[in-house]
Amino acid sequence: MVKIKLRMTVNHKIVETEIEPYARLLDVLRDKFGFTGVKEGCGIGECGACTIIMNGKKVNSCLILAAQAQGSEILTIEGVENPDGSMHPVQEAFLEKGAVQCGFCTPGMVISSYQLLSENPDPSDNEIKEAISGNLCRCTGYKQIINAVHMAADNMKKQGRYK
Amino acid sequence: MIRFDYKKPDSLDDCLELLDLYQEKARLFAGGTDLLVEFRADDKKLSNVELVIDISKLPELSFIESDEDSISIGAGTTFSEILNNPVLLKFAPFFTEACRTVGSPQIRNTGTIGGSIGTASPASDPGPPLVAMDSLLTLASPNGKRDVLLCDFMEGAYRTIIKPDELIVSVKFRKLNPDAGFSFVKLGRRKALAIARMNVAAYVETAVDGTVKDVRIVPGSCMPITMRIEEAEKMLLGEKPNYELHAAIGKKVSEKMVEASGRRWSTPYKEPVIATLVKRALNQAAGVE
Repeated sequence: MVKIKLRMTVNHKIVETEIEPYARLLDVLRDKFGFTGVKEGCGIGECGACTIIMNGKKVNSCLILAAQAQGSEILTIEGVENPDGSMHPVQEAFLEKGAVQCGFCTPGMVISSYQLLSENPDPSDNEIKEAISGNLCRCTGYKQIINAVHMAADNMKKQGRYK
Repeated sequence: MIRFDYKKPDSLDDCLELLDLYQEKARLFAGGTDLLVEFRADDKKLSNVELVIDISKLPELSFIESDEDSISIGAGTTFSEILNNPVLLKFAPFFTEACRTVGSPQIRNTGTIGGSIGTASPASDPGPPLVAMDSLLTLASPNGKRDVLLCDFMEGAYRTIIKPDELIVSVKFRKLNPDAGFSFVKLGRRKALAIARMNVAAYVETAVDGTVKDVRIVPGSCMPITMRIEEAEKMLLGEKPNYELHAAIGKKVSEKMVEASGRRWSTPYKEPVIATLVKRALNQAAGVE
């Protein structure tokens, strides 16, 4: 197998590495770069624990070859925080509303919620459900997560994050 | 994980050259949402694969075009791109609706229509509306292009007539009457991330006198090959849509399912359920309460 030189932007930083041609993006992010917030739940695209944003779209990193990420821009849970290192309003709201229990689905849930709020500052219950429909949570029953997304939306509006 | 080399051709011609060279030792990789799962599971049918050809960004495969009569969709078009297309929503709303139920938002951002057609799952969601519209596929190989009807392309469950050096370029269908009735109903185990237990696409177009002049009924997950059920369609042609007739047509589709697929462990469940789904699809398409 011919190894591939991969260059991409992860969480606002340009990174480079050498990868196997059959490596999944999920494994490269975790094992080569230590972004272990990207979780492997099912490995077959059903649970959404490995959700990342790639070139502005959320995708399951378990279903993407690392080689496909050549030149792409990637955001993982590690890059969601504010530039000063404090928590993003979505993260704060998840804590505040008890939207986290075991925590395994949380990185994917936060990414999906973050992506929703970047496109839709005032989502309805149904729009939130649709946005997190690719993320399974077996602890919370989703109610707290939906409440947290509403709270984050309100707080982001108050902070003037929407232009 | 099955191990393979990776190449990303810049053009369709380069891609066909690679296919010509590697034949069945190459696999085309578009969204990868089925393929990567199979590689990971060491699927035996992929054990001879040496090269993955990434066609996810091939410009020649990513388009939605329409003229006066028809709409053509590039095989590399993602479900998300289909969902957001206003022309499809107007002239093929049941296709848009079917694509909306595929997988999850994450899957729809990467999964492609060509990949779905090539996988030829009998439980496909876009399959029934595409078959209902008598869709035509364009395939390309190093020797040129050929057109084949989608219903002839499928040979059985997960089997197609595609040759090792061919790829799907596009799927094309005629625009239907936007004022007619369209419906897509799906029964899954839950709303998202559910493979269809059964689904139905229906199209009902009536004349000025209220009688039906064009009808398409296509159940999914019922037969090895997704197809229009002509015997059921004939029952509605020339008639005025009504609840009792739709119920009888549902029973006919159910009979046809048993004829095609035989009696299985799931038949006692599927028989009444597909009849009901067909009835609902027709009621919805024809606006019958």
